[in-house]
Amino acid sequence: MNPARGYLCLVLHCHLPYVRHPEHETFLEETWLYEAISDTYIPLLRVMDGLLRDGIDFRLTMTLSPPLISMLRDPLLISRFERHLNKLIELASKETDRTRFQPEFHRLAEMYLERFLQTRHAFTQEYRYDLVAAFERLQEHGKLEIITCGATHGFLPLLNVVPSAVRGQLRTAVAHYEETFRRPPHGIWLPECGYFPGLDEALRDVGLQFFFTESHGLLYGEPRPRYGLHAPVFCPTGIAAFARDMESSKQVWSAEEGYPGDPAYRDYYRDVGWDLDYDYVRPYVQATGQRMNTGIKYYRITGKTDHKQVYDRAWALERTADHAANFIFNRERQAEWLAPAMDRPPVVVAPYDAELFGHWWFEGPEWLDQLFRKLHASSHVVEPITPAEYLERHDVNQVCTPCGSSWGASGYYEVWLNGSNDWIYRHLHNASRRMEELTSRFGQADGVILRALTQAGRELLLAQSSDWAFIMKTGTMVDYAVKRTKDHIHRFTRLYEQLLSGNLNFEWLKDIEDKDNIFPKLDYRNFS
Amino acid sequence: MMSNPPDYYGRTETVLMVVHPFLLFAYWEVTPESCRQAHETMGPEIDGARAILRMYDISLIHFDGTNAHQVFDIDIGLEARGWYIPMWIAEKSYCADLGFLARTGRFHPISRSNVIHTPRATPSSRTDEQWMRVRFVRRRKPESTRALEYVNAPGSDRKPSAEALQREQRDASMAEYLGGGLPTSIKG
Repeated sequence: MNPARGYLCLVLHCHLPYVRHPEHETFLEETWLYEAISDTYIPLLRVMDGLLRDGIDFRLTMTLSPPLISMLRDPLLISRFERHLNKLIELASKETDRTRFQPEFHRLAEMYLERFLQTRHAFTQEYRYDLVAAFERLQEHGKLEIITCGATHGFLPLLNVVPSAVRGQLRTAVAHYEETFRRPPHGIWLPECGYFPGLDEALRDVGLQFFFTESHGLLYGEPRPRYGLHAPVFCPTGIAAFARDMESSKQVWSAEEGYPGDPAYRDYYRDVGWDLDYDYVRPYVQATGQRMNTGIKYYRITGKTDHKQVYDRAWALERTADHAANFIFNRERQAEWLAPAMDRPPVVVAPYDAELFGHWWFEGPEWLDQLFRKLHASSHVVEPITPAEYLERHDVNQVCTPCGSSWGASGYYEVWLNGSNDWIYRHLHNASRRMEELTSRFGQADGVILRALTQAGRELLLAQSSDWAFIMKTGTMVDYAVKRTKDHIHRFTRLYEQLLSGNLNFEWLKDIEDKDNIFPKLDYRNFS
Repeated sequence: MMSNPPDYYGRTETVLMVVHPFLLFAYWEVTPESCRQAHETMGPEIDGARAILRMYDISLIHFDGTNAHQVFDIDIGLEARGWYIPMWIAEKSYCADLGFLARTGRFHPISRSNVIHTPRATPSSRTDEQWMRVRFVRRRKPESTRALEYVNAPGSDRKPSAEALQREQRDASMAEYLGGGLPTSIKG
């Protein structure tokens, strides 16, 4: 077989903000994690395990952000996920009964019941409550490259007003990866793809070797890169930057032109939590009694209409095969066109938020499965690759400084800095500066002082999550994002003041240690 | 219960941030002590004085307070504590002084900001090339002090052949594809 004419580097970014509220019996925002586990992470693991079992030589790069890893290993959240899943099984089981005289709905109710039972079996028996270990096994097989992210997904270009904040995000993330996987990460998904010139120096200092930028991060790089988006560049520090390919992204991302908008695919918005009789769904919606999505959805996208038609699973699965073939066809033409102008096979970098697959685009995992199977069976033109493999094969690359950018609307920093969220930065920057001050005041610490310093670091990191600014901008669940920002800044400020005055409130410290328990082994000196 | 962050940090500061190549955001805090000092220094000149951000374009220079390429003033409301500043050109470096501008034209600065660099908004016209060899290291961290090896650009040792010339033409037609395109948005 001839060597490939092009590479496909598929990247899935898995991240959720750290949401864990032991003080409440149930908590709405915790369902983000439960839905992502049952809709996305377990389906993706099952796809990859299936490919491995069938000898399909695939390559996938995935971020597992430190907050996500922490939540996936948190005993409280794990037990709550199991409770959530059991409720879903109960509802699906009632649904099979309720729909017994409506065959087209009944078939779907049975599909959901079987699916949820399989998910529970996979979670409890196959993966033994530890999805992180399941991802790690795939990495050890050489099929999956797990990369890291900012410690709490802090948007680095805007934190950099206080550079120690960027160091704190990166050092904590890398240490957490090493603690989890017993080896350092090769690369990083910069939160929101947020880059600014000079960030590569901070990446080098923590031993990272590559990162990703938005398309114009490279296209507007200095000097203009010879191969555009289709080869990585080395920053002047020798750290490699891979850029997002626009064409392949659009085919999958775009709600209108992209595959997920196909009329055959399942409609996300029509959910029994909203459609069925209130008294019937009451036990499966919010504790407050407000309706919410349950995950059981019977309709297909159909078109731009309110009259949705019933979902046809077999048809939807056929479409995933068509769409996988179409994606490969386009990548092949892209590779054939580009290859003669280059001294190496062009790489197409296709990054997506992982939750698109399975959660938003129900059939996404099956599309991915088809994609790798078809590539393995029939494409001699396009080869899946990880950034690490690429850099091993092609160690000579052009030197270029990428342009400041992000993958947010309009391509720069606006989504995270605008009239809805600009008020947070005064607090984030001052808290970061104060944390740096604490590291120099307390060069050595032990006992309760050490605990207070460590907790101050946790509160600072949790306040820095880009998720809060993003939610404030998008306008849903804003109260929660505002509360989280204010709570963490408030807790940080109290700790700072207590540390300086020497009057620590032990009871309160214990309370917030229990609540904000991310990074048990955090080193407060990461913020120096 | 909502726990509010501090209203003030007790520290006079001016901070510039980049929103995009053509928009900056500034926020500031002026302590009562700094305000009192300003009033004292300015004396009667404080009457009718305006609070401004004096912006300095300091692209590619070591700024000594006098050598900015361009200086311009933005009227602000001091109590607003934050302000958006539209720009007309990308890829510049700026810093700002926050202070009072007296009717006499005398400027009394209170605090100087950090320096920021606005990103490019178009492809670079620079096409000179440098290439580097960097050995990838598996499962461990590379030395942060590792030497970086500059090498010849791929193809630079070859004599131009008919094929190469043909390739050059093709390269030119592809320049638009590789170098074109505006920022696209996928989030937000």
